[in-house]
Amino acid sequence: MDRVNFRTQILTRHLQTHQTTTDLLNTAPCVSYTPPELSEPSPNFDTTSLRKLLDGQSVEDIDYIFNLMIQSNLFCPRERGGKVFIAPDFNQSMEQQREMTMRRIDYLREKGAFDGWFDRKGPEGDLWRFAQAESVSVFDHSLGIKLGVHFFLWGGAIRFMGTKRHHDKWYKPTETYEVKGCFAMTELGHGSNVRGIETITRYDASTGEFIINTPCESAQKYWIGGAANHATHTVVFSQLEISGVNQGVHAFIAQIRDENGNVCPNIRIADCGHKIGLNGVDNGRIWFDNLRIPRENLLNSVADVSPDGQYLSAIKDPDQRFAAFLAPLTSGRVTIAASSMNTTKIGLATAIRYSLSRRAFSIRPNEPEVLLLDYPSHQRRLLPLLAKTYALSFASNYLKMIYVKRTPESIKTVHVVSSALKAVLTWHCMRTLQECREACGGQGIKTENHVGHLKSEYDVQLTFEGDNNVLMQQISKALLAEFLAAKKRNKPIRGLGLEHLNKPAPIIPTHLTSSTLRTTQFQTDIFCLRERDLLHRFVTEVSQYQSQGESKEHIFTVTYQTAEDLGRAFSDRLILQTYLDVEATVPEGPLKSVLGLMRSMYTTIVLEEDASFLRYGYLSTDNAAVVRKEVLKLCSELRPHALSLVSSFGIPDAFLAPIAFNWVDANAWSSV
Amino acid sequence: MAPTSQVLTKHSSNVRTIILNRPQQLNALTLEMVSQLLELLNAYEEDPSVKLVIMKGEGRAFCAGGDVAALANGSWKQGAVFFSRAYTIDYLVATYAKTQVSLIRGIAMGGGAALAIHGRFRVVTDNTLFAMPETALGSFPDVGSSYYLSRLPGFFGEYVGLTGARLDGAEMLACGLATHFVPLEKLSLLEDALCKANTGDPEIINNIIHDFSNKNPKLKEKSHYFRLKTINSCFSRRTVEEIISALEEEEADRNMDDWISWTIQALKKASPTSLKISLRSIRAGRLQGVRQCLIREYRIFCTILQGKVCKDFFEGCRALLLDKDKNPKWEPSKLELVSKQMVDSYFAPLDDEDWEDLKLPVRPNLTSYAISKL
Repeated sequence: MDRVNFRTQILTRHLQTHQTTTDLLNTAPCVSYTPPELSEPSPNFDTTSLRKLLDGQSVEDIDYIFNLMIQSNLFCPRERGGKVFIAPDFNQSMEQQREMTMRRIDYLREKGAFDGWFDRKGPEGDLWRFAQAESVSVFDHSLGIKLGVHFFLWGGAIRFMGTKRHHDKWYKPTETYEVKGCFAMTELGHGSNVRGIETITRYDASTGEFIINTPCESAQKYWIGGAANHATHTVVFSQLEISGVNQGVHAFIAQIRDENGNVCPNIRIADCGHKIGLNGVDNGRIWFDNLRIPRENLLNSVADVSPDGQYLSAIKDPDQRFAAFLAPLTSGRVTIAASSMNTTKIGLATAIRYSLSRRAFSIRPNEPEVLLLDYPSHQRRLLPLLAKTYALSFASNYLKMIYVKRTPESIKTVHVVSSALKAVLTWHCMRTLQECREACGGQGIKTENHVGHLKSEYDVQLTFEGDNNVLMQQISKALLAEFLAAKKRNKPIRGLGLEHLNKPAPIIPTHLTSSTLRTTQFQTDIFCLRERDLLHRFVTEVSQYQSQGESKEHIFTVTYQTAEDLGRAFSDRLILQTYLDVEATVPEGPLKSVLGLMRSMYTTIVLEEDASFLRYGYLSTDNAAVVRKEVLKLCSELRPHALSLVSSFGIPDAFLAPIAFNWVDANAWSSV
Repeated sequence: MAPTSQVLTKHSSNVRTIILNRPQQLNALTLEMVSQLLELLNAYEEDPSVKLVIMKGEGRAFCAGGDVAALANGSWKQGAVFFSRAYTIDYLVATYAKTQVSLIRGIAMGGGAALAIHGRFRVVTDNTLFAMPETALGSFPDVGSSYYLSRLPGFFGEYVGLTGARLDGAEMLACGLATHFVPLEKLSLLEDALCKANTGDPEIINNIIHDFSNKNPKLKEKSHYFRLKTINSCFSRRTVEEIISALEEEEADRNMDDWISWTIQALKKASPTSLKISLRSIRAGRLQGVRQCLIREYRIFCTILQGKVCKDFFEGCRALLLDKDKNPKWEPSKLELVSKQMVDSYFAPLDDEDWEDLKLPVRPNLTSYAISKL
């Protein structure tokens, strides 16, 4: 063909008017978008009531922050398919993303979002603070972490580890961001093992100053959020050596930048560089070159050093002293657990809404293609995760409540429960995001559709504030200690929900049926049986090693398999218990029925997926087959509620993604 | 159609024009009008020969809103019937399958404004006057306005909804409440042109209106819209109390600013209960679709009509519409006396056996045309 003619034809096609395109669309049969709201049954329960069960009394606080974010151009609103979405521009450079995070915080601060941060007292105050941190994380994890480091870690350290002199001095400038705080605990050489950190601080009685030093490269502070660009002050965790005696890890306040942002003398700071996610947070590394700080900068709620250099502490046991130091980390775990549920909700709401509008393959010729969520296999991929998300969200609320109502007696419970749920919830988050990404097909790859990208943004949750595997093993250690203590006292075991151990072992029916699987009695029984049996196995295993004269440390390194199974068993039983407690508050009616259905889905899927039930024989292979069949049935029963259940999450449309709505319009030529 | 009919219609091949015809009362909506509109809009949508629907008002006004004075006297259940129909119209307009143009001459307030604003094309002109004046009347911005007010730039919606500020055509275009500004003298020419075009193609309609319109009508010197920065910094606050104190701080900073004093006065004159309900409703609306907005607003209005928590609506109607002493006695009289529990009760389902949530029809067209053109 004549080359020129050919080019002309192509050019003409390019230049064809919009009008012609429309006509072509009208004449050719074409995939069109139908909103799930039209094709799906309307909710048969009150979705606002269900959201109240998830967000409790914080609904208004959360929605207020959502309002502030949606109305500002700093949150990058863009129109897609007739709807406005907000999300950070991840195409910006690391430096730009960091600046945007800071500007967003400044905006929220100007609007008064953090006013009275330290003044709000009691459980209400704690719940309000959690609501602020969680709602900003719905927009962007970097924003949540940047805020969390400043207020929960830096602010929390001042609050819990400091005393009045620190509160008076640091609360106000922290609230107004005159002081930007960070939290220097982790080192290159030591993360989870905080007691092994190498930074060392000595006291100079002649000047009344502490001298902080980084003695070697592995002692450099690492991953310190805020340190690379913005932070002016930090809490430094360091060994405290007084007159040649190491008194263990203590925390100090040090200024690292002046008011103009210049790094202070005797401080060196380097960047941690580009990360797989969270690039809106400026993680940095810090070295201290014999930095001198006033004696008053020791956070002295637990221990102090007198002007003449005497070490003073009311708590003589260094183990207990150390435990008291770690209190601020608990609030961090509470927010991580709660935020991971919000992220999970974004992923599921997006993938499920997409699966209710996207079709693939016809079953019979000339029939419309089938909606993704009408495939049993697609239901099996998403709906168990949906039920689990509800179960884990209720558990996250329970954690929040025991945290805000904590007493000196309940601290141990809060610690164990927060460790368990931080691990289980963040693992669930990552797993769900991966499944949602795959369920959205290629669309899941696009950053603007969130689900895929969120994986790299949230991955770090599994590591920071306690590596999940380490946390799971700690739970088992705590359970073991409780068990042995009760035995030693010769008293029934109390607390952590372990009271069921005092009763005879539950009996599991030899032949399970669908209706048995759905009774709370059976569900509770089999979860308790598993926890009880694994605890006994763990006790036996440990005592066997002990009789062989092995050290405690060695025993825990070799019994990790049982320890991790037990950690899971404890968490699952706890989650079921909190679910039942929530269910009990709901009056008879359609909402209660759907909650019951989801509870059965949650327990049945745990039975199906966790190998321990078969491994230790709590389920026979025959019964495992009944369980597997039941999952299918539960999926089809939950299917009609799918849309209402994701709507009840209360994540505003603006925080979801274009594929959750009119993805045809969002990708139309006219929107290019 | 009978000559006394409160709603007139005009047929011109494939175009239907709906004319609100109660000029003496500035076309304020009665139950009869609402029922008629509902019927017409449904019929036109189903009739395949209808391609374009035009809406306008007879006389000096487009529509001054619902005839609330009449409602304040009846039983709350009668009121509920009126509102369920009025809100259904708003929902129909917001999701209308046919192309629809509103020509807004003169006053468009409250429920009258909503008839137009929910639609695809909202044409304003030199004498257009828009307001959501409900808080001064002991009520709250309803008729789906928590949907469109919350979608205005920044926190302009909170400002307009809480103070009842009056906007002219140029301001409406600037903030996105209107899609086009057509000079008064060209408005009937535009109407003719639309009838002549005889099409429902939104792109063609858009082009026709565009040809008649003034693209950049000048904002008046004292326009509210120039205050957007202050509005954003004050009306973004968490509570009504905080909004007022932020305004008072601004006032102290720049002495003798008429606009700020006016704004503070408007808020102080309004019913404290109304202000709190309105703010919460607009903020909830920002996170919801128009359907959920209407359902929530219906709950609120029925609670108001029921009069169990607070009777400010009846007092407002008395003072401003019936006795006209312009001196309503609000109860509770101060913002701090309106508890969270009281506000909560407006957002919950009514405690009455006969009552149920607003049932809106299932609509074939859920595209978000009602999003403000910003």
